[in-house]
Amino acid sequence: MATVASAIPKPRRRTAVARRFDSGGPLTYLFLTLVVVGSIFPLYWSLVVASHTNAAVYEYPPKLLPGANLFHNLHRLFNSGVVNVDFAKALVNSAIVASVVTASVVFFSALAGFAFAKLEFRGRKLLFVLVLATLIVPVQLGLIPLYIEMKHFGWLNNLKAVVAPNLVTAFGVFLMRQYIVGAVPNELIAAARVDGAKTWRVFWHVILPAVRPIAAVLGLLTFMTTWNDFLWPYIVLNARNPTVQVAISDIATVAYVPDYSLILTACFVSILPLLAVFLLLGRQIIGGIMQGAIKG
Amino acid sequence: MEAKTTSGAVETSAPRRVTRRARLRRLDSKASPYLYITPFFVVFGIFGLFPLAYTAYVSLTNRNLLNPVANFIGLHNYALLIHDSYFWNAVENTLGIWFLSTVPQLVLALVIAHVLNTKVRVRTFFRMAILLPQVTSLVAVALIFTQMFGHDYGFVNWLLGLVGIHHVYWEAGRLSSWIALSVMVTWRWTGYNALIYLAAMQSIPDELYEAAAVDGARRWRQFIHVTVPMLRPTIIFTTIISTIGGLQLFTEPYLFQPRTSGGTGGSARQYQTIVMYLYEKFLGSSQFKFGYAAAIAWCLVLLIAVFGFINYFVVSRIRSAEI
Amino acid sequence: MPSKRTHGWRSRKVIAAAVVIAALVGSALAASAAQGRTHDSITLTVDVFGDFGYHDLYTQYMASHPGITIKEDTEDYAPHHTALAQHLATGAGADDIEAVEVGFIAQFASQPQNFVDLRQYGASALKSRYPAWKYNQAVAGNHAVIGLGTDVGSLGICYRTDLFKKAGLPTSPAALGKMWPTWQKFLTVGKQFQAKAPKGVKFIDSGSNLYNAIIAQANPAYYSPGGSVIAATNPKVLAAWNLTMQAVSSGQDLGLSAFSNDWNTGFKKGTFATVTCPAWMMGYIQGQAPATKGKWNIANVPGGGGSWGGSFLTVTKQSQHPAEAADLVKFLTSPASELYIFKHTGNLPSEVPVLKSKSVQTFRNPFFSNAPVGAIFANSALRLTPQVLGPHQGDFQTAASNAIQRVEQHKQSAAASWKQFLKDVQSSGA
Repeated sequence: MATVASAIPKPRRRTAVARRFDSGGPLTYLFLTLVVVGSIFPLYWSLVVASHTNAAVYEYPPKLLPGANLFHNLHRLFNSGVVNVDFAKALVNSAIVASVVTASVVFFSALAGFAFAKLEFRGRKLLFVLVLATLIVPVQLGLIPLYIEMKHFGWLNNLKAVVAPNLVTAFGVFLMRQYIVGAVPNELIAAARVDGAKTWRVFWHVILPAVRPIAAVLGLLTFMTTWNDFLWPYIVLNARNPTVQVAISDIATVAYVPDYSLILTACFVSILPLLAVFLLLGRQIIGGIMQGAIKG
Repeated sequence: MEAKTTSGAVETSAPRRVTRRARLRRLDSKASPYLYITPFFVVFGIFGLFPLAYTAYVSLTNRNLLNPVANFIGLHNYALLIHDSYFWNAVENTLGIWFLSTVPQLVLALVIAHVLNTKVRVRTFFRMAILLPQVTSLVAVALIFTQMFGHDYGFVNWLLGLVGIHHVYWEAGRLSSWIALSVMVTWRWTGYNALIYLAAMQSIPDELYEAAAVDGARRWRQFIHVTVPMLRPTIIFTTIISTIGGLQLFTEPYLFQPRTSGGTGGSARQYQTIVMYLYEKFLGSSQFKFGYAAAIAWCLVLLIAVFGFINYFVVSRIRSAEI
Repeated sequence: MPSKRTHGWRSRKVIAAAVVIAALVGSALAASAAQGRTHDSITLTVDVFGDFGYHDLYTQYMASHPGITIKEDTEDYAPHHTALAQHLATGAGADDIEAVEVGFIAQFASQPQNFVDLRQYGASALKSRYPAWKYNQAVAGNHAVIGLGTDVGSLGICYRTDLFKKAGLPTSPAALGKMWPTWQKFLTVGKQFQAKAPKGVKFIDSGSNLYNAIIAQANPAYYSPGGSVIAATNPKVLAAWNLTMQAVSSGQDLGLSAFSNDWNTGFKKGTFATVTCPAWMMGYIQGQAPATKGKWNIANVPGGGGSWGGSFLTVTKQSQHPAEAADLVKFLTSPASELYIFKHTGNLPSEVPVLKSKSVQTFRNPFFSNAPVGAIFANSALRLTPQVLGPHQGDFQTAASNAIQRVEQHKQSAAASWKQFLKDVQSSGA
């Protein structure tokens, strides 16, 4: 490794593992703060609305500070006399669906992504293009025929109908493949093969550790998109076995007009499990110490 | 130095015992790839292929959603589409909003990822915060953005009023609605893409940065000459995904409409995207024109395929990393 | 070769696999449990949007009909009808009883094969209870009765007494009702209002609301009694359009769309003085602008009668228990039930004897200066002889709203916008 100090015009304090740049100056923090404020504000405001009454939604100037109504609204949310939906059940259903789908997507995407990225086989290019092609079709129309299929399988109103079509996604395969192409040096695989490893061992011992950051990202994004999915669960599940987005849509207490303070309370409650998943997977995304796998 | 991917038999010293092991090894390297990609194609075959074929067939009929009986009319729907000015209006809207939103989104995502890849303090918090727009529920997003871009009482107009620009009617205008929607889309998806870039950046070895630093490159040049080329596959990925997502844009403009709008994307259809038009024909109006909507969907498929290819060729001209 | 780090990674994979297995087992168990059913009882599912006020009525019905359990599903207004269309299209997923609003009833009635003909269960005998127009809205082309009416929107004019006073207009409903027996006279009062109105305040909130109120009284409007589309040639449609354009060009119209942010804020800030007011709008105004209590009153609507909203209960053919479902529908729409709902939820009854009953006629609302709202709305509903609805009603409505908005937003001239409206009508009707 070349010595670092001599050629750099301005002396900078660098640690031994100079993987990252130094922490940024004030401009950097300003930029980041703006980004974060912009990202958080709508969420914050929905908390504000959730803690007021419905009339406060369209106030002008708009209310910016939380009110005292949050606990009252929370109580209404889980009270089946007020709301026709078992919100707690919806949370559990969504947790089950999102967990199963996430685990499945990450695993099978890594598998297929590895094959497309590092294995040679006939028709590889064509099959990969086929995978990409499946991304193109807009979801909305496919709902009807997919529903008919579920009717034939007997899976209506069942969580299986929401899980099964999403067990492997083209997005996941594509993402994994792109990452593995760039991030896993062929030398590593060659070394493993020289040691007698069959393809499965290569996958399990070389690829999986190497894709940890992207797997965490894929897991996070998949969990989130599954959690947020509305169109399909809305038609195939009913209000008695809902996922959380379906339940939120079912919370309407006035004839033609929604009760926004209650709805946003539900929205707010629904993201708490997501935040928990963030914290769990968040640290993985910055793989941290990767030196073991990649050596120049 | 690029070594060729090794596959195929590995010689060992005892020729007799090699035969069985060699056969197994050959079987493994021949069959494994197909086995590994099978789960995807099985799931797609069951849950993706049937809807595709069904929709293709329906596009050749005049099927009404509520009536299972329909007549086969061949390519008539497609012929109608070519002369449908509302369809082409939707295409124009979609491309306009796509352009205004995709480029800033990806550039911003790259910059944010680069910044977050440094030893900025409280990194984890920042990294999680940028995903919050994805997590914020659509109800809240709709409320807030229609509020922000409201005509008389909107926050953006209030800000603009401070510098002398008065009362922009965001929802009513064509370009103004496109801009508002681009802001909405960029807000929602930048963090998503930033995270993907950030994860990809983890695989860039430090040695490359150090070598560049030795050559006298400062942060910006290192970004251009190390980070971006190494991220090429990922940039291609996000570009294609954003293109597909952008051309299929539905949720954001749909939510931007006033509640009684009837799915037309504004009184003059100024921000009706292709999928919105599809939805209007299919479910949003009383026409329930399933066949026609299916034809729109397939035209969209064609459009995305064309654009996907163009995008791919443009982006793949980033010089590949010179290792 | 494998570093020590993979062990941690591996155990995570094991946990993930365990989650997958547990979840699959769990969901399988849950699914099988859901299929268990008590032997003798029948469960009827009712699907409504918002609050129809049926909770106590379910309790009553279940008490008097042991063996029947009622479960209600509720969704937001628009997704409710979208989901119903999808469930009808796929042949599964609809509830036993489905509520359908008047904006959608015509298109569902155009495909009556999806619903049970309630004449089989005695609907014809109930015909005289309803105003003819209400009953007929749920009658299909083949004379099948696919739904029974639950409530009607009716129509009055809700107005801000304080703003009227500032503009030098009388504030009593009786006086105003006399000043605007026709829509043309209504606009004349509007001109008077604008002459002395406080700055920034307009007489009318939305051109579309005005137009919808006028066209709702036209008979026939978009459809001839025979069912053909006559929008282009019917002078009544053009008259409604011209009146609306008059309101826009004379500066009386604020140009908002109903339920938009600016409209909602407008209630609080008093930026418009009148709004066409169905019975359910009272609750809406109270919810949006509680601070304006006592500043509102309600007068009769010009032109004689009106209706905005109102729904029906249907029984879908997918129901496994059509007879029991039909019986429940008859109960929920009976005069006694409608009166109960009126007293507790405020939805205006749709049946003539109830509308004429003392309880309704003497009902007053303190938020609206103690106006006799029961009498106003009931009589408006009784006086109405509205248009015949057709399957593409909703599309024509949308096309008209958009056409009016384009003029209000200065995107097109009135003449050009009208031309485009006619083109849209023609292509939707096809």
